[in-house]
Amino acid sequence: MSSPSRAAFLPLVAFAVLALAPTGASGADPASPPPLLSVMESELHRAQAELGKLDPPPYYLSYTVYDQDFTVIAASQGALLASTQVATRRADVVLHTGSTALDNTHDESRSSGISSGFLPGGDDRDAIARSLWRLTYEQYRKAERALANVKTQTAVRAKEDDDSPDFSQEAPQNSVTPFPARLDLNRTEWEARLRRYSGLFRSHPEVEESAATLLVEDTRSHFVSSEGSRLATPEQVVRLQVMATVRADDGMELLRVETFQAATPEKLPSDAEITARVEKMAADLKALRTAPLAEPATVPALLSGRAAAVFFHEVLGHRLEGHRQRGDDEGQTFTRKVNQAVLPDFLSVADDPTLRQLNGVELAGWYRFDDEGIPARRVEVIQKGILKNFLMSRIPVKNFSQSNGHGRSQGGLMPIGRQGNLIVSSTHSVPDAQIRQQLQAEVRKQGKPYGLYFEDIQGGFTLTSRAAPQAFQVLPVMVWKVYADNRPDELVRGVDIVGTPLAALNRILVTGDTQAVFNGICGAESGQVPVAAAAPAMLFSEIEVQKRAHEHMRPPILPPPGADKAPANGVSR
Amino acid sequence: MKTRLLGALLLLLVAVTQLPAVAAENTEAQKDPVLRAMLEELHRSQSRLKLDNVATPYYIEYRIVELDEYSAEAAFGSLRRENRIQSRILRVVVRVGDYKQDSSIGRGEGLTNVAPLDNDNLALRHALWLATDRAYKQATENFTQKQAQLKQLTIEHPLDDFARVPAVERLAATARLEAPTAPYRDLLLEATALYRRHPKLESVEGRLRFQAVSRYLVTSEGAIVRDGRNSYQLNCGGSTQAEDGMRLERGIQELTSNAKELPAREAWLKRMADMLDSLEQMRIAPLADEEYRGPVLFRPSAAADVVSTLVGRNVLGQRPELGKPARTTGEWSAEYKSRVLPPFLTVKDDPALNSFGGHALLGGYAVDDEGVAGQPITLVDQGRLVSYLTSRQPIRDFPDSNGHGRALPFSWPEAAYSTLVVSATETLSPAELKNKLIEICREKELAYGYIVETLGVRLRPRLLYRVWAKDGREELVRGAVFGELDTRALRSDLLAAGNDATADNSADPVPQSVIVPSLLFEELQVKRANDSKDKLPEYPAPALSSAN
Repeated sequence: MSSPSRAAFLPLVAFAVLALAPTGASGADPASPPPLLSVMESELHRAQAELGKLDPPPYYLSYTVYDQDFTVIAASQGALLASTQVATRRADVVLHTGSTALDNTHDESRSSGISSGFLPGGDDRDAIARSLWRLTYEQYRKAERALANVKTQTAVRAKEDDDSPDFSQEAPQNSVTPFPARLDLNRTEWEARLRRYSGLFRSHPEVEESAATLLVEDTRSHFVSSEGSRLATPEQVVRLQVMATVRADDGMELLRVETFQAATPEKLPSDAEITARVEKMAADLKALRTAPLAEPATVPALLSGRAAAVFFHEVLGHRLEGHRQRGDDEGQTFTRKVNQAVLPDFLSVADDPTLRQLNGVELAGWYRFDDEGIPARRVEVIQKGILKNFLMSRIPVKNFSQSNGHGRSQGGLMPIGRQGNLIVSSTHSVPDAQIRQQLQAEVRKQGKPYGLYFEDIQGGFTLTSRAAPQAFQVLPVMVWKVYADNRPDELVRGVDIVGTPLAALNRILVTGDTQAVFNGICGAESGQVPVAAAAPAMLFSEIEVQKRAHEHMRPPILPPPGADKAPANGVSR
Repeated sequence: MKTRLLGALLLLLVAVTQLPAVAAENTEAQKDPVLRAMLEELHRSQSRLKLDNVATPYYIEYRIVELDEYSAEAAFGSLRRENRIQSRILRVVVRVGDYKQDSSIGRGEGLTNVAPLDNDNLALRHALWLATDRAYKQATENFTQKQAQLKQLTIEHPLDDFARVPAVERLAATARLEAPTAPYRDLLLEATALYRRHPKLESVEGRLRFQAVSRYLVTSEGAIVRDGRNSYQLNCGGSTQAEDGMRLERGIQELTSNAKELPAREAWLKRMADMLDSLEQMRIAPLADEEYRGPVLFRPSAAADVVSTLVGRNVLGQRPELGKPARTTGEWSAEYKSRVLPPFLTVKDDPALNSFGGHALLGGYAVDDEGVAGQPITLVDQGRLVSYLTSRQPIRDFPDSNGHGRALPFSWPEAAYSTLVVSATETLSPAELKNKLIEICREKELAYGYIVETLGVRLRPRLLYRVWAKDGREELVRGAVFGELDTRALRSDLLAAGNDATADNSADPVPQSVIVPSLLFEELQVKRANDSKDKLPEYPAPALSSAN
């Protein structure tokens, strides 16, 4: 019952998961609505009319169909590991029965709201309609069973703290964005490039695992609902990711990941820039491998913009997700703090999925409509330190009865309030160039020998469930000791930031003056969704760090084959 | 002059005696970039992989499986998935200890990862290097754990952990896809479009899977194996509900290792149409009676499923968990040298068999996945169990491998059958078998007997006919299950076999074949299935547009 809500924010992408299917409908005339949309609509209306005669009738029905072209190319050590292109057409059928006040999706029964399956590609109306028909009556049965359970449980259990309805009332949306031509990827050329990027690690024998992966997702979403919504929305994204690990002599594995994201392959950074970033990764890892271990401490700390961004995503962002304010299992850190100060007054936080770029960087959490067909909206969650709002899906919470366009999910799962682009801004800042000096000044003021500078961070996770401590952990990679005297900064490894959210957030003293972006994939109850977080560098009066628990496997016994200078043994040469 | 000639002869002699060990490595195998990388890394690990104060490996094995797979899926005449995937999967096994007692814990040893598709020596070796290092460290930990575990157990029948085998060298051709994909994809579309003639069917789907699998295997004992195999699989199926809600399913399949044996368009469409017709007939077919006890005739397709389940699983020399005294994990663990089938039946397994009745068999191979040559084995001799199929993991009374260690690309080898052949000393024609069935019915004063054509999952009948004793008429029935269709029935109730032995291929978990004739049971229980019945769809399927 109380599986802890664990939300992870990691830039890792697995390339092995390939659910595959043919290219869907065609590049028809971009001006006319896609034929798929009209099949969906007519089948939805038929289902609505037919199921409406039953007891209980559905009061809400929606179809979402994702036509997705997906390309993955992966390479390691200069050689190709995989290169595949697949197309899928997947349908999510969402059905609510009962009443908005109490329906089949109530509380733990939320997953009864959805059924999904693959649809035939192409434009054959009969084949598509038949597949939707089957999914729909199966989903109706699931919802019907769940509603009976929900009613029994509600009758048996004590009244809940928050007796908000289960589903919000929203205005229908009608928006058909023409689908652009499918992304044109020169696979041969990209295979060669990935071989080259991954091959750069060959001259770094200390690197154990490494890979370069290109993911191209070209999605055409179609959405129709019984409320009269009708949407066609394209989404194209290209992600290049390079990862590498080294292992210190004590067995600690150290990971660096670089992610590049753009709307088209051409918009990715230049070959030279990517090469430079990969070389920098290798150099960082080499330095990290032999860096001394950090000891547990509570010291002044400076978080770079990217590090601060991940920190805010984990520590604050997840706790502002609407549905976490109701439900008996949730910790509800912020539920009763609306209109109260939760941050220093010079900080404001918005989540803005309508923002496509920030400081020239494309944002991963951009979208036009959320996964419940509600338009994306900028939400000022914290203004001048005061909590104002939550990130809302169509699950109402006390005093927040409407969605604000943050209902998000991975296909096949019921949407919940999630982050898109979390943007932290500050009115109390110093130029970035001066902030390190401020850290040093704070260290001296507190009479500490050193402070910590968190240059980069690989991700983090947070626990929001009531059963678990209200804690968070971010996983820094590049951390420097900045000494009170003018010794040069020293790279350290094995540091984890720990602590409880409210306390940590109020120790921010001053920020830098430019926002840096962290693009990643965020995992939570409604699955993996792309998100961005942006923040300026931040100086904390203190931050608690602990030693990272790690494996104790020794580094490889033999040198890698390419770096083995010993004479060949045995018969082969 | 004389001395020089002598010198040359001597050199030649030396070369000939050294041939087995050196020749393959330095010439043929070295020409193959994958084998070369594997051998180079193997030799490096063999000679230098060593942790302080820990035993060196006594056995290292590298396996790389290269898969080229085309698959497609269709529903209602439209394509739902289509994909071509190329991948290489490597598997590294490192064992420490010795053949008598080593680091292997159950199925735990070995490490799997993806390997480069490019024949890039350093990249291939890099992947092998990391996997070897980890596998070795894991093996040393397992070895310590296992020794601790063994101290707490009393072992009734001490067995070696790993069988010694002669090193096999076999360099055969790798595999490539030899069937064009587009025509069969189109055939799938055409076949599943036949749903239009059967508006009551809820699903009509088809799948296509063409595979070329190449295998590279080297061991520190000197085995070097490279070969390839193909499988071409075409499936179509449909489902519906009877008026009372009972779920009904049927499917047709073609599975072969030979692209030339894939069905012609017309033949497949005919089979599909017949299958869909039979589904319609099943919808209106009468329900099986609540209870029946009497003769049942299994036609070859159904008999193949019975044999693969009840014989195939129980002749495997799979060793039970550490400390458990049983010989194998199967039901015939204690039946060694006992009668398990009627005396008129003999069962063999023959990996060398490549075709039967003009049809390619999927189960054949020269060398198993542990580098051991596959041997033909008589398992049941005139009803008596005389042997098991063994891998390199010895079982009681069978210390050696007979070349039946088979593995999925990413998994450990286990004993599995290749091609099971059931033969009978006396056989009857299909017509004679039916007469015999009717004869028994009359003797037992039964109004009818059963003939089962095909089985579904868990040996449940799919195509089942009532045969009326009075006139031999066959009548399709639905909703039946067998009671007590088990190894006891196989031993005691089998009465006769047909002269109609047919080969049946299966691809999962590993490629296998069964060659079985019709089998007549004198007495089996057939009951009405005790399934809850689904509701019929709440509303009708969408009407078909006339455009198509």
